[in-house]
Amino acid sequence: MRGSKQIRNTAKKLLQMSLENGEVSAERVSAVLNSLKAHPPRQYKAVLRGYLSLIRRELALSQAVVEHAGPLSGEILQSVESAFSSIYGRSVTAVAKDNPDLIAGLRIRVGSDVYDASIAQRLHELARAAN
Amino acid sequence: MINDFLFIAASNPVTEIAHEFGVQPRYILSQIISFLVVLAILYFGAFKKILSTLDDRQRKIESGLKYADEMKLKLAESEKRQQETLREASQKAALMVDEARATAKDYLEKQTREAGERAEQILKKAEEAITLERKKMLAEVRGEIARLVVMTSSKVLARELSDDERSRFNSAAARELTSSN
Repeated sequence: MRGSKQIRNTAKKLLQMSLENGEVSAERVSAVLNSLKAHPPRQYKAVLRGYLSLIRRELALSQAVVEHAGPLSGEILQSVESAFSSIYGRSVTAVAKDNPDLIAGLRIRVGSDVYDASIAQRLHELARAAN
Repeated sequence: MINDFLFIAASNPVTEIAHEFGVQPRYILSQIISFLVVLAILYFGAFKKILSTLDDRQRKIESGLKYADEMKLKLAESEKRQQETLREASQKAALMVDEARATAKDYLEKQTREAGERAEQILKKAEEAITLERKKMLAEVRGEIARLVVMTSSKVLARELSDDERSRFNSAAARELTSSN
């Protein structure tokens, strides 16, 4: 129990060292990995796994996955980046992902937050209201 | 004078009887005294004891009769008490029978009432179960219909929507998401 907590704390410190202006920096991540390679800590693999998980979460917070059905213009992606960067107070990059199950509309996922404005979601809400 | 008397007496039947019994005028006094002496001896020696014995017997008889009367009275009282006891026992028995009947009647009424209440509860529970089952069934039917409507709508929309319509809907969705957040 104490070991896992120590691993989490070490991974968090490594993540803090990997951020530049609140964003993950590739250079800093490389430096951190080199340092770890040169001076491997106790439970090296577990620390690396924890660090990877935190980096993925941080990157997910900087990325807005825009699921869509049908054509999606670049203007829409730019407006999404602008709006969500303003919401989260950091630079958010929009990544398009085709999802025909939505029928039409958008579903945007930032980290664990989901914003849905699709026909599939509305039909789902309609079915739930009918029950 | 005595001779006159004797003469008169000689011709009297009483005198004859006295003569027969040996009553002599010259011995009359001694005879009276002898009689009185015999009488006193008989009185004090025999009559008094006999009279005392008779009195004792008389008292015993009276006491026996009195005892018999008392016994009769006691017997009568005893019979009277027995009759009263029997009457009271009869009344108590009648009262107990009445109470037992009343208790049995109350018990029967209570059992009948409880059976009725139980039957009502069973009916009520059955009605509630039926209502609940009906609601559940309706909800299931409604859910199934909604699912079918949604599925059909999804298929129809997925097939019928053109790219231009999807693009317009995507633009509207983007405006909705960026403006509301």
